[in-house]
Amino acid sequence: MKRDSLKPKGGLYYYMQSTSGIVGALLLLFMVIVSICAVFGWLPHDPLEQNVEFAMQGPSTTFWFGTDEFGRDIFSRSLDGMRRSLTVSVSAVSIAATIGVTLGILSGYLGRWFDQLIVRLSDVIFAFPAILLALAIVSTLGNTWYQTSLAIAVVYTPIFIRVARGPVLTVKEMDYVKVTRILGFSSLRILRKHILPNVTAPIVVQVALSLSWAILTESGLSFLGLGTQPPNASLGLMVSEAQSIAAFAWWALFFPSAFITIVVVGLNLVGDGLRDALDPARRSS
Amino acid sequence: MSFGERTSRILLSTPVLRIGSIFTTLFGISIFVFLVLRVIPGDSIVGAFGIETGVLTPEQIAQLKIYYGIDKSLPMQYLSWMQSFLTGNMGYSYSTGISIASLTAKALPVTIELALIGTILGVVMGIAVGTFSARKPGSIRDFAGQLFGLMALAVPGFVLSTTIVTIMANKFHYFPNGYEFVRLWEDPWMNLQQMMFPGLVLGIAVAAPVMRTTRSALLETVDKDFVRTAIGKGVNPRKVQTRHILRNSLIPIVTMTGIQFGYLLGGAVIVENIFSLPGMGRQVLYAITRREYATVQSSVMVFAILFIAINVITDLIYRKVDPRIKK
Amino acid sequence: MVAGVAFVAPAQAASKDLAIGVTLDIDKLDPHTATSFSTVRMLGLTYGSLVEVGPKLDIRSGLAASWGFNADSTELRLKLRKGVKFHDGSAFDAEDVKASINRVLDTKTTAAARANIATITSVTGSGLSVLIKLSVPNAPILAALDGVNMSMLSSDDIAANKIGKTVNGTGPFKFVSWEPGQSVKLEKNATYWKAPVKLDTVTFRIIPTEASILAALNAGTIQFSVLTSPTVALQVGKNLNLYRTPGLGYVTLQLNARVAPLNKLDVRLAIQCAINRAEVVKTAASGEAKVVGPITSPAYASDPNDRPCPNVDLAKTKKYLADAGYADGLTIKAIVSPTQYATASGTAQNLKAQLAKAGINLELDILDNATYVSRWLAGDFAAAVANNGGRIDPDTMYTRYFPSTGNLNKVAGYSSATMDALFLKGKATGRAAERKVVYKQISQELENNAVWIWLFAPYEYRAAAKNVTGFIPLATGSLIELRVVDLK
Repeated sequence: MKRDSLKPKGGLYYYMQSTSGIVGALLLLFMVIVSICAVFGWLPHDPLEQNVEFAMQGPSTTFWFGTDEFGRDIFSRSLDGMRRSLTVSVSAVSIAATIGVTLGILSGYLGRWFDQLIVRLSDVIFAFPAILLALAIVSTLGNTWYQTSLAIAVVYTPIFIRVARGPVLTVKEMDYVKVTRILGFSSLRILRKHILPNVTAPIVVQVALSLSWAILTESGLSFLGLGTQPPNASLGLMVSEAQSIAAFAWWALFFPSAFITIVVVGLNLVGDGLRDALDPARRSS
Repeated sequence: MSFGERTSRILLSTPVLRIGSIFTTLFGISIFVFLVLRVIPGDSIVGAFGIETGVLTPEQIAQLKIYYGIDKSLPMQYLSWMQSFLTGNMGYSYSTGISIASLTAKALPVTIELALIGTILGVVMGIAVGTFSARKPGSIRDFAGQLFGLMALAVPGFVLSTTIVTIMANKFHYFPNGYEFVRLWEDPWMNLQQMMFPGLVLGIAVAAPVMRTTRSALLETVDKDFVRTAIGKGVNPRKVQTRHILRNSLIPIVTMTGIQFGYLLGGAVIVENIFSLPGMGRQVLYAITRREYATVQSSVMVFAILFIAINVITDLIYRKVDPRIKK
Repeated sequence: MVAGVAFVAPAQAASKDLAIGVTLDIDKLDPHTATSFSTVRMLGLTYGSLVEVGPKLDIRSGLAASWGFNADSTELRLKLRKGVKFHDGSAFDAEDVKASINRVLDTKTTAAARANIATITSVTGSGLSVLIKLSVPNAPILAALDGVNMSMLSSDDIAANKIGKTVNGTGPFKFVSWEPGQSVKLEKNATYWKAPVKLDTVTFRIIPTEASILAALNAGTIQFSVLTSPTVALQVGKNLNLYRTPGLGYVTLQLNARVAPLNKLDVRLAIQCAINRAEVVKTAASGEAKVVGPITSPAYASDPNDRPCPNVDLAKTKKYLADAGYADGLTIKAIVSPTQYATASGTAQNLKAQLAKAGINLELDILDNATYVSRWLAGDFAAAVANNGGRIDPDTMYTRYFPSTGNLNKVAGYSSATMDALFLKGKATGRAAERKVVYKQISQELENNAVWIWLFAPYEYRAAAKNVTGFIPLATGSLIELRVVDLK
């Protein structure tokens, strides 16, 4: 591994060099602040309160993002929704990534029967209709956000296995890695020094992608009663419910969608910044 | 070599292992889907009769249980399903009376066609934009490319679909999906028109991750030592681009494409519903809602076989594409 | 210039083909066991029954030209219509009536209407005369003879076990084909007994989302449609005709009076007094519904103001709760299935918000359809946000729920000696004036005991292209009046 200068610089320094990373971090900060406000209830209105006299009104000074058909404040619901979407998304992807990457790396590295076993196991989950899985989990374990996260985590694990496994297969065959194996270096060291750095970039990209997808997967599940339960709000549920009234209340669809965009853009830009920071061979301009 | 050593050599040899593991996987899936369906509340009778189940007499219910094949014990049900499935009989859809095999034979080509169109469009768009972006990282073009990728990721498929439908149908009075679905071989032109919009929506959804993966992989490879060495050696930069960079970046792109294609094969239910495409997604969702066990089980087995086939092909592509991975 | 007599070949009249957009496929071809609404709707165009229901939901002659009861309503004599033919050309007569009714009564058939006509002990007759004998006086039996579930089938078909495999009826349209998941095609029955059918073909096209149905109408790829979502219906523009009729089905918050705390009348009344029905209609149904009482059958319709709390009265709610010992509020779990019908989720959410103001926490248990139905059938709930079907006769509407012997009494969660007596009285009386009195009493009994919280009857919609003329919508959802429709 080359070093660009004599003095070792920390990852944070490299992260700050990336514009994407900075913009992403700012958006992430925004999302965190919003979520904290939602958790503590520091919102202009109660997200569940129905003020039917004010239903279906556009953005105004009282209701900054307008109201829905129940007269609920879309601004407060969007903030609360962001917190819920992020909770489900982050917990689901954390589980999926941790398990998936570990299994994927081990699978690619150890090869042979273990590899086949893991790959086939991930195929079993992959071939399974996600809705069926979610229905089963929710029917047996209950209907809170834990179960939704679990369902999404199970569905996303195979992707991480595959994404982590690919580069490992490549690197494993490289001459210098083979040499280190022959020379008797411990597997752990090989994994850490040679394999992990090559796997980092695709995984960081995949984490950002999965976090983005999870928000919409949760929306699909909520629509069937398997995710966030109405009247609670999640960004995905708000968007799918807004479809029916979009012709009469564009704000009900627009603002939650904008928030989803912020989350997606923010997460992916942070991902870019992290990737740049963590990969010593590559520093973006 | 002793007999024992020879036997284990053969058993653990890659082709045998591979085929063995495929069958084990399929077996595992069959048990998994069978059990999961039974764990969920509601059975085929409730699925078919709805609230009218309440007026059925106990004798009628007993009779219906035999009809729907849910009267025997669980192991017996599984074995009898497995037995018919392995002999090519996937069972019957109770609502239509038609064999699940012929229903699947009708729905599967629709899903495959849609999945292919979506994947191809997505991969083409994704690689194009990703390469465009990666050529000059940090530039305006990169910014534009990134923007495309992120927008494609952030817009939910159903929002995009309904927007297209609303504009096309209401403003331009053009809605090919409002006509009955025609197969590719019946009327290719009409079929492609009906596949066009859903294919585009799915293509955009696929393009997003493909674009991000492409860009990331290209930026990765560009800095690798062997590329710098090649440039240092005086190899034409353009040649370096195609030969070395693209080729070595292909692994993650191939992985991502395989995953996306696999998902689409599972049936893009939302798109199939909005554009009235009679594909596997709708078939399976309908069967799950009505608890038509045989249809769900058999359909999932069909998916599983397809997925495994795709994964095997993806693995083969890995080996072809990356010369460093030897057999 | 052509002089003299010009020979002009007669112009081929363009085929009058009507394409109907619907969201759900049919699920079978047997009219006696058909329960899903989409199936009933389609089969209603191919089959006929002894009596029919007119636009005002009055009983009219169908395949039976005339009829009469004996003095104590234990015998019904029918004179069948002359000259009616099945689609295969065979004549319709008393043999077919006997075979059809017996088929419904046979438990092996699992016919949906069996319970409604269970009082029939024998069906005899020949030619065009039929005599139906009943085990007890049962005047409502006449209304029970209407509908797709009481379709008259050919006795030959029944004997040859062809029912459900082929469609051979007396209806205005003949069945041509069913492409599962895609379409059902029908064509004109040239020998239909009523007026000549003008449409040449009718095709039900399955378009799973209502927004896409509207798009198809706007793009002209279909000419007719059935819609259930108020928000989609409200987007139907001036380029189309929208038929809006109050349906017979009703949305209600079912209460299980056998489960604490709902076993206390005060608690149930507290809930009744806490709800502003107009608000539920506005939020959940976009204003597109009628506030109703228990009975929606037009001739016997309940007066929605005839209840302890026709309007919100939170003071009363507070008092009732205090009397019941729940001054600090209470929690009730309600099951709801959002995918069942368009207004389910909205109703549940608005009820929750309204009840919260009264200190009642309505905890929503959101379930997928089959799970909801399983629990509903088992009576495994405290409350349920339900959309139940209505009937043109109040007896058929509620006889399965509220008499203690009803098949669904477990689901109804309530029974009383008074209720049982009233239902028996309703069955025994034949005269409309007397029946109205009885069913008004039943309605009041249900409301005074706040057995369920009846909310509203959603409108039903048919949207059609401007060139579709002559259609008359029926509150039962039947499309039978397509038999007089013309395409200009």
